[in-house]
Amino acid sequence: MKVLLVGGAGREHAIALTLARSVHQPRLYCLSEMVNPGIKKLVDSSRGEYFRGDINDPGHVANVAEEVGVDFVFVGPEEPNFHGVPDRLEEKGIPCIGANRAVSELEMSKASMRDLQWKYKIPGRLWYKKFRTYEEAIPYIEEYADSIALKPARQAGGKGVKVIEDFQVYLQEDKRRVKREHAESIVKEYMRGYEDTEYRLLIEERVWGPEYTLHCFTDGRTVLPMPVVQDNKHAFDGDLGMETGGMGSVSCGMNLRYGIDDERSIITEEEYKRSVEIVRMMIEAIQRETDKKYHGVVAGQMMLTSVWGPTVIEMYSRLGDPEAANVLTMLRTDLVEICEAIIGERLNTIKAEFDDRAVVVKAVCPEGYPSKRDLARGHPVRISVDNGTGSILWASADLVDGRVLTGGSRIVECVGTGSSIPEASSVAERLCGAVSLEDGWKVFHRSDIGSEKFMERRIALANMAREIYQYRERKGLLGKRMMWIPGKGLVEVG
Amino acid sequence: MAGILGIYLFDERWDVYNFGVFGLMALQHRGQETVGLEVFGKSRGKIEGEGLVDQVLVNNKTAGHICLGAVSPYPASNGEIQPIRLSENVSLAIDGKILRIDGYQWDPTLSYEGNLRRALEGDSVEEIQEFFSRCRGGFSYIALNGKPEMVAGRGDLGVKPLVLGKMGFEGGIVSSESCVMDIIGERVPISPAENIEPGEVRIFTPLSAHAERLRNCSRRAYCSFEYVYLARPDSYINEIPVYRVRRKIGEVLAEEGRVEADVIIGVPETAVPFAMAYSNSTGIPVEKGFELTGRRVRSAMKPNQIERLKGVQLKLNVISEAVRGKRVVLIDDSVVRGNTLANIVYLMKEKGAKEIHVRIGSPHIVSHCPFGVEVPPEDELIGRHLPEEKIAEVVGADSFRYLSIDGLVEATGLKFDDLCLGCFNGNYPEV
Repeated sequence: MKVLLVGGAGREHAIALTLARSVHQPRLYCLSEMVNPGIKKLVDSSRGEYFRGDINDPGHVANVAEEVGVDFVFVGPEEPNFHGVPDRLEEKGIPCIGANRAVSELEMSKASMRDLQWKYKIPGRLWYKKFRTYEEAIPYIEEYADSIALKPARQAGGKGVKVIEDFQVYLQEDKRRVKREHAESIVKEYMRGYEDTEYRLLIEERVWGPEYTLHCFTDGRTVLPMPVVQDNKHAFDGDLGMETGGMGSVSCGMNLRYGIDDERSIITEEEYKRSVEIVRMMIEAIQRETDKKYHGVVAGQMMLTSVWGPTVIEMYSRLGDPEAANVLTMLRTDLVEICEAIIGERLNTIKAEFDDRAVVVKAVCPEGYPSKRDLARGHPVRISVDNGTGSILWASADLVDGRVLTGGSRIVECVGTGSSIPEASSVAERLCGAVSLEDGWKVFHRSDIGSEKFMERRIALANMAREIYQYRERKGLLGKRMMWIPGKGLVEVG
Repeated sequence: MAGILGIYLFDERWDVYNFGVFGLMALQHRGQETVGLEVFGKSRGKIEGEGLVDQVLVNNKTAGHICLGAVSPYPASNGEIQPIRLSENVSLAIDGKILRIDGYQWDPTLSYEGNLRRALEGDSVEEIQEFFSRCRGGFSYIALNGKPEMVAGRGDLGVKPLVLGKMGFEGGIVSSESCVMDIIGERVPISPAENIEPGEVRIFTPLSAHAERLRNCSRRAYCSFEYVYLARPDSYINEIPVYRVRRKIGEVLAEEGRVEADVIIGVPETAVPFAMAYSNSTGIPVEKGFELTGRRVRSAMKPNQIERLKGVQLKLNVISEAVRGKRVVLIDDSVVRGNTLANIVYLMKEKGAKEIHVRIGSPHIVSHCPFGVEVPPEDELIGRHLPEEKIAEVVGADSFRYLSIDGLVEATGLKFDDLCLGCFNGNYPEV
């Protein structure tokens, strides 16, 4: 059996490892822009081949797949989905795990995703407004927008989101100015080069609560949910600093428990069920809307908010990174068999089983990430522990002439497991300490992710959001927002 | 003492000037004599002066995405206005006092700032961090160099508070008290700020923000006066809500200094929560006893007697209806020299109070604080020289009682050994 993996980041290293432990012993092939040293090793030991190339060019991906004569292709990242790689493969009769162009709209257009969620009245929908131009948004920002999230209307590599809490009127002028300027740079800078969406800018209400990602495998008919994972976007310790692609993620059991034998959890079982239902409804809605089947992974990047309880922040048309390392480490069922069932649309015959173990993933990054990637790129990497167990996943790293150089983003993802999240965290922490750059350029990671204090704070935050949304639910106010606008009267949203 | 503030935002589009102004306003109670705010952006500019924040920081002459500021209770004639320049590139805001510096011979002919300047070598983050790790005393600091990079930390003993807050994805805020985060930071459910531990250093550079723990400091000497008087009641000091301690102090006072009375009155602002708690646990009603004229100031922190009395008389006009013909329990936060208290008791008797029983929400002050809490020389301290019965006579009250030291420790919920109680018992931690 031959499998072509598209993409070469930490997520794809995790996928490659999981495919490699299949009883079917697939021969692994990989196509990506940089040569991931970890995937390269697995490719070599399975006697496959590594191709360096453009993963967003459907023709190129299809050619490689045909040349190799693969049994199926597994697309890791989102951009190939947006570019129609799965569609092209399908045309050529090559089975593929990856959302096609039409259904990946769920992730690609954040505006369409919200439209869909409101049209189908799917719970956990945030109030939003979409704009075609920057100018269109200005009067709105000036007049109404208080605490908001400003987002590129299209998935732009996770970049360009700014959340501004504008509550203190004495600081309003400064905040509004930054909002305006950022709205302008979203349209003019972050969206540059993405001409495939009508809307350019999205403004959403700001909400608070613990975030979590819920992944599901789907063949378009059956939805197989995975354990909930919590990703952490802030660059620095204590949830401080710039937004990144994700600095680390924690999971334990299906609903983010503190430990295997611990009653405390961030998400309740009931909330887990509701979240699965939301993702299932999203899949159904996008399929109905596009008349296309969804084959692959879909994820809800969710938040437990005081307004709705489980709430959709964004949707993924693939596995999250680094969350992939959590769910795939926990996955007990053979991934090749899951893939074959998706392809054959008989996922209903598979029972996906997951380990209860706590998994903590921590990304180690070169200084300069995420805002000044030029500075972060091209540094030779050294890892001073034996990585035979695969607990250090290579991410943005390029194997060039036997040396590994940083690619500018997260270098590696260190995976720790244990009987509780804090225990798994200290294992990951030790692994992080083994990563350095040979030229002395500094690296950083988040030591707080998964610590006891971190977990206690997340649980306390969840409890607070839960208390409020449950109260609203009892009052019949779940998801409803009411405003009294003097002179205009009562305005209800929800 | 002082109130110190550092704001470090990563996105250069921000102008933090107004954040600095309102942040310092939230720290105004920690110092009302001088204000300084230095802003770092494309250029570096400082505004400073004598007076309150809204008197000094009146026009935005400087812009940038990073700032360092301080309010201080010391008149400008006593030293440089904070933040002080430590070297060509390094500015410093400091709360508390450095008493000595390991490996440096203190030069008595130089000013305090002059000694710090001479002892500091270099202006990199590492050098600044190394310098403060050699400093001994009771202090918290925020320093910024020209890059600009920010280094913030607490001395080993943790005498002075320091907390870290954040502003979403934009950056971080370091300040003396957590109330600053409520005013200018992101409103984070659960707790507004993270406590910076003694010996821990927080570093911000254009590329990173992280904590470093230089060594494990097990000896703690948290200033107990923060809980009694210095901090705002909406702040958390060492993760303990100040208001909780103040309420508890009122309860302990009600136990220790129980007296038959008709009404409880707290001296604004600090002693009001003591009075409320005293009332709640005794069932004796609490009343508003005073009305303020003019601007709200902390009279006890004024540098001279005339200013203090002026402050008291303007702040504390007695509402006669609240006290006439009544037996009053009058609760104040502390007694230093006793003359402002005498003034209050006199005013209240004049308005018809039948009896006045003074209860103080702190133990007697007997010692001058080496870490810079504003306590006058020891020969001026009434509590050091006179017993309670005598003080009652001096201030003209029917009875007078302090909170016991044990009562104070109990109210904080901290261990005796983790507190600095020096102003009440003369025992200061070794530095």
